[in-house]
Amino acid sequence: MPTDVRAVSVSGNPEEYEDEHVHAIYDEIAGHFSSTRYKPWPIIAQFLSSLPAGWVGLDSGTGNGKYLPLPLDRPGQLWTIGLDRSINLLRIAQTVGQHYREVVLGNVLDFPWRYGAFDYAISIATIHHLSTHERRKAAVKSLLHSISPNHGRALIYVWAVEQDNLSKRVIPVAQQAGEIQTVKQKDKPGVDVFVPWVLKEPSSKPDTPAQATQASAKVFNRFYHMFAAGELEQLVTEAAEDMKLQVVSKQLRTTVAAGVSGVTAVQTGWERSNYYIELERWRT
Amino acid sequence: MVRLITHNLLACHVRGCNSNNFPLQFQDVQIGLREAEFNPDFLRGFLPKIEWNALVGAARQLGDTSLPEEQPSMLDDDFLKTLHHVLLEIHVEEGAMVCPNCKHVYPISNGIPNMLLAEHEIG
Repeated sequence: MPTDVRAVSVSGNPEEYEDEHVHAIYDEIAGHFSSTRYKPWPIIAQFLSSLPAGWVGLDSGTGNGKYLPLPLDRPGQLWTIGLDRSINLLRIAQTVGQHYREVVLGNVLDFPWRYGAFDYAISIATIHHLSTHERRKAAVKSLLHSISPNHGRALIYVWAVEQDNLSKRVIPVAQQAGEIQTVKQKDKPGVDVFVPWVLKEPSSKPDTPAQATQASAKVFNRFYHMFAAGELEQLVTEAAEDMKLQVVSKQLRTTVAAGVSGVTAVQTGWERSNYYIELERWRT
Repeated sequence: MVRLITHNLLACHVRGCNSNNFPLQFQDVQIGLREAEFNPDFLRGFLPKIEWNALVGAARQLGDTSLPEEQPSMLDDDFLKTLHHVLLEIHVEEGAMVCPNCKHVYPISNGIPNMLLAEHEIG
């Protein structure tokens, strides 16, 4: 059964493409997928722990809602509202951690909120499911619009071309010499791939022999855009510029003149096969 | 779930619907009351960011008239408990939210609001 990651080229209407290669799949694999996604990643947990009591946030692409109960050591001091395109994942997210959570069915490209209504926003392993650069940029803009222009904070995670050695996935595209070169050049885009999900259907009869169970496994190919080094920063810069926000480094923040709206990358990095960027919006 | 904490943040996003698109109006709702843990630190921090008139109006649509018209300056425990109940313990399970401007209907089913739009409606 082909379960390796393989390169694809996106064609046709991107919305229909994502419906077929992302949304429909998550609705079908929701239960199995969720049972494998329960451990929060450390940098995200740390980010949420650092926020003050009384802040409300948006988890854009919440999936099974595993970040909604955080921070675990201060339950109820923050409220994170989860948005996702998969109704079946939301049904799981709705009661994650044995409490009722707030979840909304929606697309990360849309903006069903008051502008700047949230204090913080996270988008974890979501934007890489969008099939064009423009759509990924639109998702970042939505995220920046959702947070306060004065103090809003955001954290974005996307899948990286640069893969963890421990990752069980075989990435043929990244292993070809040509591709590795592409990845190292900052301006070059990442790679569009299908990442298989092998769904093991629970057997209908308890005494079904092992071979029969094997045969009922079904493979779903999810679309991912694997980000190149520097591509996430570039995407955020383009989104901010479209919004007429100044992009200013941490070091130069204090030198900004009065009356300016901007965004600063507080930290960027790579963790477990993902690139991340933490952002802060400000007004002088 | 649609509790009033979420309702206070949502706005209509139909293409071209940019003014008077908040707050959404509840329609034909079924509600459930569920106790939630009281957290005064959260409420004190969140209070300045609430659109107060929208919250009072939405609570009344759901049959709860416990909130004062004006946000009080004294945040005693009685007030915070009232606020806690209105924001976090009233669950809208079924029904819809309607945009006051363009009248777009966002359905609520099993406590999940559907904010998706058809492609031609997206702003």
